[in-house]
Amino acid sequence: MAYILQQLLTKSAERYPEKMAVWARGRSVTYRELDQRSNQLAHLLRQRGIKKGDRVGLYFPKCVESVISMLAVVKAGAVYVPLDPQAPADRVGYIIGNCGIRALITKEEKRRGLDENTLAALEFCVMTEEAAKSSNGTKLIPWSMLSEYPAERPPQVVLTETDLAYILYTSGSTGRPKGVMLSHQNALTFVEWCAATFEITSEDRLSNHAPLHFDLSVFDVYNAIEAGATVYLVTEDLALFPSRLAEFIETKGITVWYSVPSALTLLLLHADLNAEKLARLRLILFAGEVFPMKYLRQLADLLPHVELQNLYGPTETNVCTYYEVERERLSSLEKLPIGIACENTEVFAVNDQDEIVTQAGGTGELYVRGPAVTYGYWADPEKTAKMVVPNRFQPNFEEKIYRTGDLVQLAEDGNYYFLGRRDSMIKSRGYRIELGEIESALLSHEAVKEAVAIAIPDDIVSNRIVAVIAAHDGASVKPSELQHHCASRIPKYMIPELIEFRDSLPKTSTGKVDRVQLTQESIRAASQPAAEVVSQ
Amino acid sequence: MSTVNQTPATQVLKDQIREFIMENLAHAKGITSFTDDESLMESGVIDSLGIFRLVSFMEEDLRVRVSDEEINAETLKSVNSIEQLVLSKRK
Repeated sequence: MAYILQQLLTKSAERYPEKMAVWARGRSVTYRELDQRSNQLAHLLRQRGIKKGDRVGLYFPKCVESVISMLAVVKAGAVYVPLDPQAPADRVGYIIGNCGIRALITKEEKRRGLDENTLAALEFCVMTEEAAKSSNGTKLIPWSMLSEYPAERPPQVVLTETDLAYILYTSGSTGRPKGVMLSHQNALTFVEWCAATFEITSEDRLSNHAPLHFDLSVFDVYNAIEAGATVYLVTEDLALFPSRLAEFIETKGITVWYSVPSALTLLLLHADLNAEKLARLRLILFAGEVFPMKYLRQLADLLPHVELQNLYGPTETNVCTYYEVERERLSSLEKLPIGIACENTEVFAVNDQDEIVTQAGGTGELYVRGPAVTYGYWADPEKTAKMVVPNRFQPNFEEKIYRTGDLVQLAEDGNYYFLGRRDSMIKSRGYRIELGEIESALLSHEAVKEAVAIAIPDDIVSNRIVAVIAAHDGASVKPSELQHHCASRIPKYMIPELIEFRDSLPKTSTGKVDRVQLTQESIRAASQPAAEVVSQ
Repeated sequence: MSTVNQTPATQVLKDQIREFIMENLAHAKGITSFTDDESLMESGVIDSLGIFRLVSFMEEDLRVRVSDEEINAETLKSVNSIEQLVLSKRK
């Protein structure tokens, strides 16, 4: 039994050395190559001074080297941090500084976009390309150097399941992203549950639609490796075009698909999906946002042979509950349940009286307990103490439980149903977005006095984002200028698509900005033609 | 930007395409400039929903019918390739 992630690879490389492990952009590696390449890169990292627990950033668009790098970093005893290749350099630079990344595995076009201070803080970069030009300051090591390191065995490092494997950054309400620390045990609790529940075999072909800094990818990569299956990485250019994506699922013979519901909705609406073409597809998992029932019903009808599973869970627990879609109930269900707890995980709702909800119909905040729960946020003990709290419902020994911030209802059928958030975190295309992070970006512009970011519910992407701004007296700024300003601070999916200006923002009786009123007004305005919404 | 062999009519079309993309897609991504040849996918101007707003614009404002198969990385790559697609449809 594996207790650290790399043992999954060791086992599959022994059993299926010649089998294709990873495919991306027309290239692939076998299990033997994946094992040997990651051994070599792990030795290189160690030899350059990377020690147990050090952080190594992965900063390049998805390719075969992504998976080699993930495994190499954990084999070196270090912790990998997948960095969004699409994120603004300022945000990537913040993350590199925040968790003290010592080395990057990257590509020249990405590396050169980083600012000088960030580059100066890096000890070296391993370049995924063959030819790396020498650069002042940071040492650049070409990928071809790997061949000089031992391939047969990984470096000797003592690790236990409680060591960190990776850190995933998500949106933070105080204006900066926060790093969720995940241990080998956290990851394996989920991977082993998936392997048993979804019966992934070496015959399966998994797709990887989610970006690697998104926790959905943990299933795609590690469950493929666990089973000796093949994972096909869906690169950004492919993900954008539904009919090409459908063709990809068909021609690659994908059997297991996992993505956010909005990706499935776009496939449904803009690609000619049919059961005959996707005959090999046997399982669709979706997570990250609420799947609108009307699209789920269409998908279920279109692909009657495919098992559909709704997975739920924040990055801090990966997946903690699941619901297998019951086709016979689909027409009568108004809302899709998030289901029941995964094995080796306990979930419960805590109501306003601070009691565990046991009766059907009861509502409360969902708490998660068990080995899937994160230690907390990197270098942020305050935030950690708020979210990962001592278990006050169990007096026998010390342990931590995670407060999800999600309000849920326990139903007659034993399933939990998601009701909404306790705070201003929202989802769009499955991405977690703290409206506060958007507001911080807007407020950092000198002309902005007050700013409120608002989520407008949307059928396909869950939420679209708009903002209402009051400028300082005498200051003038155009929406496009503010959007451009945001682009250097927050990812593109967080930038408000519309920005409305007002002389001042409405206030509540306590003098706070009246979010409720602004949200209602914005939702009303969004249902009218766009020209009326933007006043400049 | 304009080349000698371009007729005024195609120049108008190109301006329309460029303006739609700038006002409706690029600004919302914080992007203030792009060239006619630049890959709009790589620069992040067009995302998964942006593609379908662009297709609606082509169908409703430019009056050409675009099939699902024509929505791909080659035809929608840049202002120039979008213009080519529209022109080929109008022939």
